[in-house]
Formats: sequence, C-alpha cells, structure tokens
Amino acid sequence: MALSIVGVALGVAVVVGIDLANTSARTAFTLSTETVAGRATHSLEASSGTLPDSVYRIIKVDEGFRDAAPVIEGSVRIGEVDGPVVQVLGVDPLAEDPFRSFTGGPDGGIDLGRFMGRSPGVLVAAATAERLNLPEEGRFSAWHEGQHVDLEVEALLPVDSDLDAASLENLIVVDIATAQRVLTMQGQLSRVDLILPEGTEAAFRANHMRGLPDNVTLEQSAGRSDTLAQMTEAFSLNLTAMSLLALVVGMFLIYNTMTFSVVQRRPLLGRLRAVGVTRREMYWMIISEALLVGLAGSILGVVGGLALGNVLVGLVTQTINDLYFVVRIRDLDVSAWSIGKGLAIGIGSTILSTLPPAREATRTAPSMVLKRSATETSTLHALPRLVVSGVVLAVAGVGILWLSGKSIAWSYGGILAIILAFACWIPPIVLLGARTLRPVLGRVFGIIGRMGASGIEQSLSRSAVAVAALTIAVASTTGVGVMVDSFRTTVNTWLTYALEADIYISPPGDVFRRNDATITAEAEHFIRSRPDVEAAYSVRTARVLIDNQETDLIVTEPRPRELEPGRYKATMTGDFRRAMQESDVVMVSEPYAFRYGTNVGDSLRIMTSHGPVAFRVGAIYYDYASDLGVVQMTRDRYDIHFDDPRVSGLAVYATDGKDLDGLIQDLREGTASVQSLNIRSNRDLRQASLDVFDQTFTVTTVLRLLAILVAFVGVLTALMALQLERSRELAVLRANGMTPGQVGRMITLQTSSMGLLAGLLSVPLGLVLAWLLIYVINQRSFGWTLQFEVDGVILLQAILLAVVAAALAAMYPSLSMSRTKASEALREE
Amino acid sequence: MSHLPSLPILSVRDLVKTYREGSLDRAVLQGLSFDIKKGELVVLLGRSGSGKSTLLNLISGMDAPTTGSIRFRDTELTKLSETERTLFRRHAIGIIFQSFNLIPTLKVEENILLPLELGGKLDKDQRQRALAVLEEVGLADRAGSFPDLLSGGEQQRVAIARALAHDPLLILADEPTGNLDFKTAGLVMDILERIVHDKERTMLIATHDRDIIGLADRVFELQEGVLREVSPAESAH
Repeated sequence: MALSIVGVALGVAVVVGIDLANTSARTAFTLSTETVAGRATHSLEASSGTLPDSVYRIIKVDEGFRDAAPVIEGSVRIGEVDGPVVQVLGVDPLAEDPFRSFTGGPDGGIDLGRFMGRSPGVLVAAATAERLNLPEEGRFSAWHEGQHVDLEVEALLPVDSDLDAASLENLIVVDIATAQRVLTMQGQLSRVDLILPEGTEAAFRANHMRGLPDNVTLEQSAGRSDTLAQMTEAFSLNLTAMSLLALVVGMFLIYNTMTFSVVQRRPLLGRLRAVGVTRREMYWMIISEALLVGLAGSILGVVGGLALGNVLVGLVTQTINDLYFVVRIRDLDVSAWSIGKGLAIGIGSTILSTLPPAREATRTAPSMVLKRSATETSTLHALPRLVVSGVVLAVAGVGILWLSGKSIAWSYGGILAIILAFACWIPPIVLLGARTLRPVLGRVFGIIGRMGASGIEQSLSRSAVAVAALTIAVASTTGVGVMVDSFRTTVNTWLTYALEADIYISPPGDVFRRNDATITAEAEHFIRSRPDVEAAYSVRTARVLIDNQETDLIVTEPRPRELEPGRYKATMTGDFRRAMQESDVVMVSEPYAFRYGTNVGDSLRIMTSHGPVAFRVGAIYYDYASDLGVVQMTRDRYDIHFDDPRVSGLAVYATDGKDLDGLIQDLREGTASVQSLNIRSNRDLRQASLDVFDQTFTVTTVLRLLAILVAFVGVLTALMALQLERSRELAVLRANGMTPGQVGRMITLQTSSMGLLAGLLSVPLGLVLAWLLIYVINQRSFGWTLQFEVDGVILLQAILLAVVAAALAAMYPSLSMSRTKASEALREE
Repeated sequence: MSHLPSLPILSVRDLVKTYREGSLDRAVLQGLSFDIKKGELVVLLGRSGSGKSTLLNLISGMDAPTTGSIRFRDTELTKLSETERTLFRRHAIGIIFQSFNLIPTLKVEENILLPLELGGKLDKDQRQRALAVLEEVGLADRAGSFPDLLSGGEQQRVAIARALAHDPLLILADEPTGNLDFKTAGLVMDILERIVHDKERTMLIATHDRDIIGLADRVFELQEGVLREVSPAESAH
C-alpha cells in the first residue's frame, strides 16, 4: 500500500512542482509590475527608448492635467559590478501621492526635503536592505551598465502586508533626479503615469496629446504584465509538457502499484468472493480504495511538489533571467488552483490506472486464488488487440500532429498518442524478446538463465507494463538528450560564423540574451582609437514597437565580412545588403518570421523617433540568440530614423599577429576608469553563450531524472508484485535445490533482461521523440531550424541506463525473494 | 517385502520444533526420535495440523529445528548453514508435493532435470539416467510437453520422476495422492511402490490416506507432536 502511495505521490509531485515554479515566476513578475504601476491606469511612453522629460512638463503645466507622475525605471547591481540586480524606481515625491504610497506624501514620515535634496538617498524595505547587506549609515556601491555610483539608505519603506513585502523584495525607490543621474538618463523619463477616469481615454488623446512628440503613445498599465507573460509562454508550456510526461510514466507506475496491491490481497479477495461479496461490490471496494490511495498519494505529492517547486523555481528563474527579464522570486506562489489541479490529476489518474486491475480481480473466480496463469493467458489473447490499438493510436497521433497547426498543446497531444501507440506494441515485442533471449541466456547461464527469460513471458502482464514504463522514461531522456544535443550543435555551428570578430565588448547587462545597456562614448572612442584595433563595428540593441509589438531591434554597422549566403533562410531578389544601407529595408530573424508570420517582401511598421515608418523585409536569417525574434537594421538607417547615437556593443578585429590576450588586457586597463566592460575573446564569448545554453536546459535534466526515478519505482513495484505471485514457484525451486544466491541471480537476470529490452526499445522511440521535438515542438514553439544530430553515445547510455535502473530495482526484491522461507511458502498446501 | 539392511540412512533424535504464537511458544514436534533404513518405505500418519509437513520440512532442511538432531549417514543437517542445507537437499533428497508443483515455464524434461541442472552442466550419463526415470513412470513420450498440457495424474508422475532423477538418498512425499481421484491415486501408489521396492529406494510418505498403509514397511503416527510406531494392521483402523 505504501508503494502505491509513493507511486502516486512521485507523479503528482513532478506536475505540481513544475506548475508552482511556472506560476510563481509569472506572479512575481506581475506583482513587481503592479507595484511600480501603483494606481496608474495609463501611461505615456515612447515608442522606442525613453521620453524627454518635457513631456511631463507639457502634461502637468501646459495641459494642466493633475493626475500625472513622472517615472524612471531601470536596474542597478549592488556591491560589485556583477552583484545582485535590483530594480530602481525613480519618482517625484510631490506628484506621487495619488499613485503609490512609497514616499507617503508630505505627511508620510519621510523627510522629503532631505530625500529630494540629498542626491544618493534611496528608500528600501528593511528585508531588502538586510538581504543586500546595505549599511544603515553611510554610502554603498552600486553599478549601472558598468559605471560606478554611490547610494545611501535614506529611510526604510513601510511594509503593510505580506503582499507589499513580496513586491518590494527587489526594489529601491529614488528621487527622479537621482534616477536620471544613476541610470544616465539626464533629461529623460521612462514614462509618465496617469490616472484616467474610465471612458476618458479617447478624450485624453484628443485634448491633451496634441502637443506631444509623434513617438509618444498612450498605453494601458494593466497590459504590461500580459506582454511579458506572452514572452515566456512557449517556455512554460514546454516545461508543463515535460512534467506531464513524468505523469504518464507515473500512470504506468500507479497501474503497477495498484495491481500490486490487488495481487497482494488476492487470497483475501478470493475469500470475500467465496463468502458472497458480489463482483460489483468488490469492484467498488477496490475503486474506493484507489480513491483513498489517490488522495493520500496526491496529498503527499502536493507536499513533495512544494519541496520540488522550491528547487525548480530557482532553475526556472535562472532561465527566465538569462533569456527574458529579471525577476526575483522570494516565495513559491502556492494557489488553491495549483494544489487542486495536483489533487485532481493524482486522484483521477489513480482511479483510471486502477480500472484494469479492479476488473482483473473481480473477474477472477473465487476458487482461483493462485491462478495467475489465467491472467497471463488473457494477456496473450489480448496481444493482437494491442497491436491494432497501437496502429490506431499511431495513426491518430500522426493525424493530430498533421492537423494541429501551430498549437503546441495539440502537438503534445499527438506525441502522447504516438508514445501510447508504442506502449501498446511493447507487450508483443517483450514476448518475442523474452523468447529470443531464453536460449541465449540458457547457453550462458544454464537453467538459471532460461528461467530468468521465461519469467518475463510467464508474467507478461506485469513485466510488459514495467518494460513500457522504463522504455518511455528512458526514451524521453534519449529524445530530449538528442534534441538538446542537436540544438547545441546547431548553436555551436551558428556561433562559429555569427561571431567572426576577435574581441567582443559590452557593458554588463541584466539579461544575458537581451542586453540593451550602452557603452559610453568615451570608452567607445578609446577602443576604436587603439593602434592594435584594425577595425570595429558597433551593435545597438533597442526595444522598439514594431507592428505594435515591443521587439528587440538589432542595429549593426557594416561588418568587414558579411554572413555567408547559406546563413539566410530567404532573401529578396537583388543585393538586399545594399538595399538595407540605402533604403528602408530590414531583415528579421527566423523566430521573428515564425512568430509573426513574416515573409520576405512584407512591410513592417516600425515606430521611430519621428513616428511610424514602413520598412520592407529584405531577408530572413538564422538566429539562435533569441526565441522571441529580432529585427535587424543598418546603423545608417537607424541614425536617420532614431535620435539615439548610443551603442550597446563593439566587435573588434585586431591587427594581424597581435596577441589577443595582450590587447584585451590593454582595453580593460584603458577603459577601467570610465566604465567596467565585459571584454571577451571570441572563444570566451562562445563558451559563455554555450554555458548559458546549458544552464537553460538544467531544469529539463532534472525532469528527465525524475522520470527515470518514477520508472525505477515502477520496475521495483512490478518486481514486488512478481515476488508475491511467484512465491510458491520460488519455494518449489528452493525445495529442489536452488540456493538463495541462484534465486538472486535468476531475478537479476530476469530484470536485467527487462532492462535490456526497455533500453533497446527506448532507442527507436527516443529517436522518434527527438525528431518530433526538433521538427514539430521546437518549430511550433520557436520556429528554429535545427540540425538533427544523433550521437551514438547517447543511445548507448540509454541502453545502459535502462539495464542499470532495472538491475538496481531488482536488488531489494531479489534479496527478499532469496530470503523467503520455502517451508512457509509451501505451507499453504 | 524387500530385505531390510541394518544401517539407517536417516537418524532423527529428540527433535523439537516450536513456533512463537503471540507471547506463547507452541510445540509442534515434541522430542521425536526414529530411524529410516535404506530401501524402506515408511508412512507417516496424522491428522491435518499434526505436524507431518513440519517434520518433512525439517528432514528436507527447508526449515531448522528448535533442538534435536537430524543425521543423514555422516552429515548432521542441523549443523549446516541455509545454503549448505540447500546443496545437501539438491543432491540427497527428492520431494513430491501434494499439488505437483511443476515449474510451468519448463518442459517436462526440463522439470525433471532441474535439480541436476541447478548443480551445473549435465553430462550425457546424467541426462540419460534422468530420462530413464521418465520412462519408469511411463511418460517418456511427454518429455517435450509443458506441464499445463498434462492431466493431474501425469503431472504427479512427472513430479515423482523429478524427485527420483538425481538418485537421492531419501524421497519425501507429502500427501502424494491428495489431489488425485481414486483411480489415478491407485496408479500413482503402484508407481511409488515399484520405485521403492524394485529399485531399493528409500521413501517417507506423509499422508492421512490409509490406503497407502498397505505399501508401508513401517508406519508412524504423529499425534499432538508425539510420534509412535504402529503396526500396519493397527493403523489401518
């Protein structure tokens, strides 16, 4: 019974753990967005970059609109140049009162004169100050885009509730002037917050926005968190799918454990039948018991899920921070909905998995307490039906994949059908495999080997389920392994041609793959003027509105060597590179084209500093840096349309023969006093990129290991059931002179053979899964073209993993079986 | 009746077996002593629960006594470890069960060769001797069949052949006719008598089937843990 509960608990824990990690990340982001938005209903924002602070003056003074407050948002790193990131919110305390209660207004207990007058003063929650080790008195160091600033704790923010505490966890509040200085945004604002009574949006546009620059837009505050949630949608969905895969493996386990519990009490059930308990009564008795097991297992699973969620949330946050945005999660967001889902899935799948053993038990005649062979005979008769069911499921799976369009959820549904189809084919294959292995093992290990192989066939209904669970778990490991390997190889190849300069320089940013921090003009000038620098081209990453979607625009100067023609997925006719220099032509990355259905020749409406401009798409290029998709524009066109001379990074070519390490050292020393920059060789940047890549898949590795663990328990329970069923046979063997060691060897041979069959079967299924993950799921989630790379080592590992997992699972049952007293097992006679 | 050699192959002395039931010890066997000589067919009578099977388990080494001695010629069984007892049983004892207990995944021939094969690779002579036993029980033509294709009587004959195949010192039979109809039971009894008396094998049969008593050289009765020898005529009533 305990094993059944553990089985249910493991499956539920994985699903709940992932769900909590996903929702916690989303809630933390929403909370921090809502905290800085306060009671604002709308805001004035620039279509790209920042607003001139004159916008606030126009609205507040010229237009006389009272409920407006200027806001600057940014981030700094505390202590060291690579220290923890905190969000900076710059506000005007005199305008804040209707919006947020951080400064408490004129009567809020904070000395506003000092706060506004003493430039480095910050307001911070006590818990945040403690976590970041901020001194109560005196200044502390902070870094913004590699530039050092001094700050000082002015006062502690009042915390009213847990909600407040969570939202203030990663925030420091400064005066607007301080924010402009710290974040190098002199004369600029991130946005102007507004409180517009309901239904007055159109009137506000008409009455108050006419005097504003063209690139100022009116946005709803509530929409901001939705946009960012969309960014991580595919990522979250894929994690959820992986957790459901663990549940599918878990269902096999639940089936086995519930079967085990029925088998264990078969004599008792037989006696109950004999004294007049009807089939229906017994059926409901078993189902009610499954309900209790499901409930107990699900409750344990939810508790386990909370623990697992705490581990996974760190990994999920790391990936989100590397790829999308900075978010800090203090606590798991445990909602009744997440827990309810976990309980429902656990109880539902337990009852579903108990239906076959309940049927099996109630169909057994009262007198047939030990007639296991009857079940095995019916299993043998069911094999043709299973093969046909497999074919039907496979056809359905392919059909769903074919017809599901871009839907990732349906695609996973199709994959699940294919996995189940394969599972249906496993029993006949196991039967054939066991019959093939019998003479082979017999030749090597004698009667012990023959009986080991026969044991698989003899208990096919148990052994095939255990093999299926192990096959699916190992195949999912292989499938994901091959997918990650293929992805990594593709990224590595891509990095080889994408990174062709010798040295790459950028300011430290908060998000590895979306760095829009800028290099100071002084540092840029120093770098470009070094005699050992033969050439350099700049890159600017700016977030702009393209077709009303905030998108990363990558702006590049012409490279000394352009990308090879084969690196473009599609190009317009003619010289599109020249067209990009001379006219309003851009190119888009493959994920962008996929996400928005963009084709070469299409027109994109890009919101420039001077209003919307239509750009034609000249090419679609392969890019693996961003799953959100980016648009690339030449520097010349950017300078024409945007009032933004800054650069986010520099790619440097050294003069021939120059020692790169020496040049890097030279550049570091030369720029140190101006700005702390990441100056990395081509090789180091590639390694750093691959490290981040590997990090993003850590969570997947954890899930793969959990699936194996679930399968391991599955094999263990199958063997425990076999132990009970075969106790009499083993006693006869012991009576005929089989030593305890020989019993152990026979069981280990049987289980290892099951492991070997599972390992061999996992190879084709794993390759099919990898193919589907690469060409269906990845394509539909991100639109990337990946090379399909199969490393033989991964396949060998899969086989080895299955054999070792099975052999390990056999240890306890074989020990227990070899210790069983033959006299006791035979006493029932 | 066959001639009776003087030296016992089995000597049981002061054998006690107690089981723990809650906080009490229950003595199933209370100081049993007896000998069995080569070529004897000894019948052990007793009601259900009298301790017949327990005694057979102790003699076969599947269980260990609480106190007392079980000696097979030069081997003191109670001094052996579990594995040593198993190896001894494999070579020296053959067991026939009430419900046949053939291994369903092994063919008839494999079932018979099981005790020999567990000892390692078989030589040609061993195999031929074992198959000769199958012929002895009249089932040479069923060597390649699986047990589930045989009738109850045939299965018991295969079980008898398995118990004889490795030419054991002593054959133990626990209610060998208990699962068979009257006619088949008679056939099996004939075989048992033949294999003991014609080939000078030694057998201890535990039963409450008083028809078997007619085959016995000696009869013991086990009552409430105490063993006493009775004459075949007395026991028949």
